[in-house]
Amino acid sequence: MPFLKKYLLPRIVQYLVVILIGATLIFFVPRLMPVDPVQQTLEKITIQGAFLDPDAIEQMRATLQDLYGLKGGLGAQYLTFWKRLFKGDFGPSFAQFPTPVMTLIKTSLPWTLGLLVTSTLLSWLLGNILGGLAAYYHERKWASVLESIAMVMRPIHYYIVALGLLMLLGYAIPLFPISGGFSIGRKFILTWDVMLDILKHALLPALSLVIVGTCTWFMTMRLLVSNLMAEDYIVYAQVAGVPDGEIAFKYAIRNALLPQVTGLALSLGQIFGGALITETVFAYPGLGTLLYSSINAGDYNLMMGITLLSVIAIATGVLIMDLVYPLLDPRIRYD
Amino acid sequence: MDVLRVQDLKCFYVVESQGQQREVKAVNGVSLNVKKNQVLGIAGESGCGKTTFLKSLLGLVRPPLRCLGGKVEYIGNGKATDIMSLSKHQHKELMWEHISYVPQGSLSVLNPVRRIGDTFESFIGAHMEPSTTKHQYEELVCSHLEALGLPEDTLRAYPHQLSGGMRQRVTIALATILKPHLILADEPSTALDVVVQRGVIQLLKDIQEEQQNTIILVTHDMAIHANICDRIAIMYAGKIIEEAGVEEIFSNPRHPYTQYLIGSLPRIGDKAHRISAPGSPPSLSDLPQGCSFHPRCPEATDNCRKEEPMLTGIGGDHRVACLSLTRGDFNADQAQVALDQ
Repeated sequence: MPFLKKYLLPRIVQYLVVILIGATLIFFVPRLMPVDPVQQTLEKITIQGAFLDPDAIEQMRATLQDLYGLKGGLGAQYLTFWKRLFKGDFGPSFAQFPTPVMTLIKTSLPWTLGLLVTSTLLSWLLGNILGGLAAYYHERKWASVLESIAMVMRPIHYYIVALGLLMLLGYAIPLFPISGGFSIGRKFILTWDVMLDILKHALLPALSLVIVGTCTWFMTMRLLVSNLMAEDYIVYAQVAGVPDGEIAFKYAIRNALLPQVTGLALSLGQIFGGALITETVFAYPGLGTLLYSSINAGDYNLMMGITLLSVIAIATGVLIMDLVYPLLDPRIRYD
Repeated sequence: MDVLRVQDLKCFYVVESQGQQREVKAVNGVSLNVKKNQVLGIAGESGCGKTTFLKSLLGLVRPPLRCLGGKVEYIGNGKATDIMSLSKHQHKELMWEHISYVPQGSLSVLNPVRRIGDTFESFIGAHMEPSTTKHQYEELVCSHLEALGLPEDTLRAYPHQLSGGMRQRVTIALATILKPHLILADEPSTALDVVVQRGVIQLLKDIQEEQQNTIILVTHDMAIHANICDRIAIMYAGKIIEEAGVEEIFSNPRHPYTQYLIGSLPRIGDKAHRISAPGSPPSLSDLPQGCSFHPRCPEATDNCRKEEPMLTGIGGDHRVACLSLTRGDFNADQAQVALDQ
C-alpha cells in the first residue's frame, strides 16, 4: 500500500524521533540546573536541627543518589532512565519521596484534562464560528459589536481577566466558590451531588479560559475569513444565489478552518503542561502547579514525567493532524 | 424582443489615494439593448472595461466599484426589473434562474475543498422548488451532464482533479442547468488551449441553440466572436464605440479602432505585415478630452479633441461613435478584411 509506505511510515518514524529527542533533552536539561536534589534533601534534614556527623551525611548522600537514580556518570544515568521509561516508570518523586511520579501525575491529570479539554474545545468552536460569521457579515451591526469586544478583551492579560472574574462572580456577587476543585471535607464518591460540586468549582476557571480563548480564536478566524471574502469561489457562489448562511459555513468558514485545526491540535497537546496561572488564581488542582513545584524543588523525576507527557501529547496531536489533514483538504495527497 | 436594456450606465471605481478621490471610469455611459435568442459579443483590449461592464450587468457592484448613474433593466416574464435597485433577496432569486454567469478562470471559482457534486447541490438547491425529490434532482443533474458530454464521475471529483477544459465545462453546466434566459460569459475560454477552447465555445453555442437563451460573451479574442456571435459590440475606454451584426462588423468596420482590431487579425496565406493601433489604451482614470481614441487615431482632427462622439445609427442596425463618419469614409482599403470563412 503506497499510503502506508509513503505517508504513514515516515510520519511514524518522525513521531518516534521527536519523542526520542524530546526525552533526551528532558533528561539533560534538569541536570544543568543549579539545583541539586540530593543536597536539598540533606539540607531539609539538617535544617530541622538534628546534628549529624559528616560521615553519616556522606553515607546518606550515597544512599539518596542511588534511590534517585543519580548514581554514576551521566551515561549510566541516561541508560537507567531509558530502562525505567520502557516500563512506564518515571521513578519516585524526590520532593515527595517515595511516592512514584506516576501516582502524582495520575491524581492531577483528571483535573487538568477535565478543565482544559472542555474549555479548549469550547473556545475553539465558539471563536471560530463567531469569528467566521463576524467576518462574513462584516457590514452587520452585531458583527462590529462582537469584533469590538474581542478587540478589547484579547490584549488584556489572562491573569487580570481571571482575577477580575474571581472578584466579580466569586466575591462581589458570590455565585461561585472562589477556590479549589471541590468543597473541602467532601468525600470523593461518584454521586450527582459531588459531580455538581465539581462542576460548580470548575465553572469560574473554565469561564475565564473560554473568554480569553474565544477572543484569540475569534481574531485569527476573522482575519482568515476576511481574507477569503474576495476569493472568486465565494463571489461566484454569491452571484449564483446560494443562501448567505450556506456560503458562510460551507465556503468561508470551512475553507478557513484548516490552519485553525492545526492550532487546535497544538493547544490540545499543550494541555498536558497544565495551566499554571489558572490553577494559581483559582487554587485549582492540576498539572501546572505540580510542574511548578517540581521545578522549585529540583524534583528531576517529576519534571521529566510531566514534560515527557507533554512532549508525547503534542507529538501525538501533530501526528493525528497529519493523518486527518488529507481528509479535510483534498488537495493534500498521501504521496 | 429585448431581454436586457442598458441605459447610459456609469460604473466607476472610486478610489482614494493620498487624500484625493480618483475615479476610474471603467463603464462610462454605456447604452445597449440585447435581443432575445441572440449571442452578443463584447470585444476590446484588456483594460477597456469589459469585465466591469459584465459585473455591473450581474448587479455585482461593490465598493470600490460604484454605479453613478444609468439603468440596467432585465425583461423577463413580461415585466422589467431594474437590476441595480433589487434587494439582496430579490437579487438572489433573479440570479441563476433568470440570469446566470460563466466566470473567468475556472480553478479559482470552484471551492477547492468541495466536490463538484456538492457545488451543484448548493447552486441548484437554492433555486429548486422545495417539493423536488432527491431522485428528480439527481436525474436533472445527470441528464444535463450527459448532454454536455461530462462523465457522471465528475460529480465526485474535486476541482483540482479535473483538467482546465473539464472545469470550464463544469462552470458552463452550472450556468445552464436551470435554463436561464440570459447567460453572461466572461472570457470563458481564455485560459484554455486552442483545441479545448473550440470545444468549450461550441458547447456554449450548442446549449444556446437548444435552450434558446441569450448570451453576452466577453472576450478579446475576435476569432471566437466570429465563430459564435450574432452581434458584436466593440468597447474602448469604458464606452461602446461600435455595434453591429457580426458580418457587418467584420466586412464593414467603420470606427478606426474597429478597423485596426479587425485589420490585425491574421489570415491564412496572407504574409503581409499586420498594422495594429499605435500606442496603448488610455488610463481609465485620466481619459483624454473629446473622443478618447483621438491620441491613437490617424484621422483625428481638432474637433475630435474637443467633442465627444455619440453612438449613432448609420443605417441598418449598425451604430458607431466617431465624428469622422460625418466627414466621409476613413481608409477604405484597411476595412477590406472580411470574415475568414
